[in-house]
Amino acid sequence: MKKILLLFLAALSLLSGCGSDMFRTPQQTLAQTWPQIEAKGRNQPVSMQMWMGDPLINKYMSTYVKPEVKRLYGIDLQISAAQGAGLAQTLAAEKEAGQPSQADIVWINGETFYQLRQVDALLGPFVDKLPNAHFLDLQNPFINTDFQQPVAGMECPWGNVQFTFIYDSSKVARPPKSFAELPAFVKAHPGQFTIPNEFTGMTLLKSWMMALAGDPKLFQGKFNEAVYTKWSGELWRQVNASRPYFWKQGQTFPEQLAQLHQLFANGEVAFTFSNNDAEVDNKVNQGVFPATARAYVPTPGTIQNSHYLGVVQGSQHPEAALLVVNFLISPEAQLKKMDPNVWGDHTVLNLAALTAAQRQQFEQLPSRRYAPRRASIQGLALAEPDPEYMTRLFKDFRAHVIEAPVR
Amino acid sequence: MRSKLLTTLLGGLFALPFGLLALLAVAPGWRFPAVLPAEYSLGALRSLLAADNELLAGLGRSLLLASVVAAVATAGGFGLAWAIARTARPGRWEALSYLPYALPPVLLAVLIQPFIIRLHLSGSVGGVLVGLLLIALPFATLLLRSFWSQQATEYEQLARTLGCTPRQAFQQVLLPLAWPLLRTALFQTFLLSWFDFGFTNLLSVGKVRTLTVQVFTYVGEANAQLAAVASLLLLLPPALLLWVNKKALLRRPDLG
Amino acid sequence: MSSKLRSGKLLLGLYALLVVGLPLAGLGYALLGSVGVVGPLAAGFTGRYWLALGADTGLLKSALFSLWVAGASLGLSVAAALGLVLGAQATLRRRPFPTLLYVPLLMPSLVMGFYLFQLLSRAGWLSRLSFQLGLTHSLDAFPELVQDAAGGGIILAQVLLAFPFLTLLFQAIYQESRLDDYRQLTQTLGASAAQFRWRVAVPVLLRRAAPALLLSGIATLGAYDLPLLLGRPYPQMLSVYIATRLQRFDLRELPAAYLAGFLVAVGLLGLILVLIRLTRRHAF
Repeated sequence: MKKILLLFLAALSLLSGCGSDMFRTPQQTLAQTWPQIEAKGRNQPVSMQMWMGDPLINKYMSTYVKPEVKRLYGIDLQISAAQGAGLAQTLAAEKEAGQPSQADIVWINGETFYQLRQVDALLGPFVDKLPNAHFLDLQNPFINTDFQQPVAGMECPWGNVQFTFIYDSSKVARPPKSFAELPAFVKAHPGQFTIPNEFTGMTLLKSWMMALAGDPKLFQGKFNEAVYTKWSGELWRQVNASRPYFWKQGQTFPEQLAQLHQLFANGEVAFTFSNNDAEVDNKVNQGVFPATARAYVPTPGTIQNSHYLGVVQGSQHPEAALLVVNFLISPEAQLKKMDPNVWGDHTVLNLAALTAAQRQQFEQLPSRRYAPRRASIQGLALAEPDPEYMTRLFKDFRAHVIEAPVR
Repeated sequence: MRSKLLTTLLGGLFALPFGLLALLAVAPGWRFPAVLPAEYSLGALRSLLAADNELLAGLGRSLLLASVVAAVATAGGFGLAWAIARTARPGRWEALSYLPYALPPVLLAVLIQPFIIRLHLSGSVGGVLVGLLLIALPFATLLLRSFWSQQATEYEQLARTLGCTPRQAFQQVLLPLAWPLLRTALFQTFLLSWFDFGFTNLLSVGKVRTLTVQVFTYVGEANAQLAAVASLLLLLPPALLLWVNKKALLRRPDLG
Repeated sequence: MSSKLRSGKLLLGLYALLVVGLPLAGLGYALLGSVGVVGPLAAGFTGRYWLALGADTGLLKSALFSLWVAGASLGLSVAAALGLVLGAQATLRRRPFPTLLYVPLLMPSLVMGFYLFQLLSRAGWLSRLSFQLGLTHSLDAFPELVQDAAGGGIILAQVLLAFPFLTLLFQAIYQESRLDDYRQLTQTLGASAAQFRWRVAVPVLLRRAAPALLLSGIATLGAYDLPLLLGRPYPQMLSVYIATRLQRFDLRELPAAYLAGFLVAVGLLGLILVLIRLTRRHAF
């Protein structure tokens, strides 16, 4: 037993040992001029951490971005799968150990941004270092603010999306036009609707709660306990009243969005959701959803948010990472990404800042076939509230709905 | 008759997943209530090949990593089981071998990550090997522990009495005797590493891109056709290996 | 001989470092994390998370649910494997059986979960078949085989994964222990086939396979992919419960997750020790 204890202590002592061997401070990296960054970043490997569950997105990265940054800068871009809390934990563990990071660029937003700021794992502010930053639509509150947190140059906008309902028009002739109509609709069409118990489902609940409150301004700024308690209580009342008419009589909920998508694709439910307004086109093009799938935004609106690129503070190739991020927000890369046949991710550039020829290219992109036009839903966009609303909804959805018996 | 029925039943049970996955893999938009797909296409396979042009390299990496883990774990486990049988308190060692399994894998990976980082193994094959061996080595040890019984020792001694050198006794008596268990250990530890996504992806921070790491995420995503293609890509290489090595794997060793 | 022993000691030392050192270090990390001493947002010692434990029954419920799923899966798999090895010994030795049993081992649990979902869900292949055959007339009429309240879908998946492995294992032990010779011997001495099975074969097989059975049971207790795909959000199995706390949205929840993980690990360790002791007491 003594031996084991010794081993244990030896292992624990590893916790405290090992000094920092980072070769440059973030300030030193960011003090360089762009030509210096360009010179230093060339011919380096860059590791980018992102969600890798969509072949179209992966294809955009591996057959377009990867060869382009190789051609332009000799950068060897490696893409790997990591996201959300797992990513935050890895970066936090590296930082706690005082070691340089294995990651250079991370694809983040909202609560992950918040977490990475909390553990101080991001390099920055870096956005105004990027030559292409002047194209960014940084006056747009849906782009310059991430879950009520000012972006402040700590993450670079990459794409912008809005939450939509997706329904099968061959099964549902007239979907509920508003959140107010939703309970009556669900009651009239039992078994067709459910709420996924994950990120997208929480965005649905947030939008629903804001619709109930009637005033999106209530959810601006820091988390407000009184506002949350009042309107989440209202939300649970309404959800629980409709619950017997949900899929499987509301006795259970899908744990993942992918599973809800499969239920929808198999025809078991008539509704699914997406945080990306163009996803319906993407999924129909891949043959996943039936061609009768349509997306729309119910009134008074749904949450619109942006997703971002962060550079890791302990990055071993920060200059090369900046070069890649700068490329990803270039008009060419953004145009390609916005094509619904490529990815369909809405641009974060200010079209007015582009040349007339570039602007025309953006305007002439093949339009979405099954998703609503961007212009028609912009008026129905709600800003993301503080991350705490999401955290609390997630906890309380379990306590007040999932674990509560169906009435 | 009963024997045939049993064979057919189990054969059918084990073949069904391959059949259904193969159909799903070539069937876009196959929905309730169609029992068979209305149309067939290789679109999902093509889009997967297009999305990652390193699949072949990943296959090689997977094979190499899994072979190393299987060989080290099985050989190590065999030796460890022998060494444990000779300690004063084999039961204690056996109990210790269960320690890595007391932590569910989702937890174990996260909890050892800080130490892998401090050992400067994060982001490398070395870190992945440590993580995989942490699971595979005690598995093989415990599985092979049952071999070093009184009986095996007696066989070994008998061989020595009959004039075998220790090496001969090992090669000609013990190894053949242990082969059924050894091949199960080899096979299981190979697959354990082959199918691992969590440890490999987390401990290498995504840098050791095995085939599993490349296609695993698709299995859990919304696109059922793609998930089926990815599943088959994971299943077929070991199935092929099983087929090729069937003779070696199943040969009944001559006890001489 | 002494050099052989010395190398054995060295091997054991290295083994201990890996198998004991690393998990214990991780466990220590979890313990320190649960009292706020280490971790990304650690702010110094606090007993808060331990005190909050009294009000939370979620962990206990998911432990009980996991025990039910693991117990049922292991029981069914062992019964199926014993049935095959003792009841169909001749068939098992003939082609194509030895190869056939390796086939299900090729399925990783995520693929098994995906396959069973596509096969057994209400819009799945069996439901389509029964609809076309006129056995059911709507999607909802098909019984709930996955994501059911009792965890039946998870249990089925675990059995499909475990019983071929256990059959192979029992078969290897059966051959290596020369149970066939014993069978002939007991029969010569006038014992019935049933007596041989229950008095000789089953105890030998179970005793010698005990470590593997224990491992299989523990692996089921800690399973993650299958419960996520084939289970319900409530009740959750242990790994899903821990992962929910570990991975979701909020770093401030991390100490609570570390605490849950620590308790689960200690609980499993205790369970393992008790089971080892039990199998030893019944050893003969």
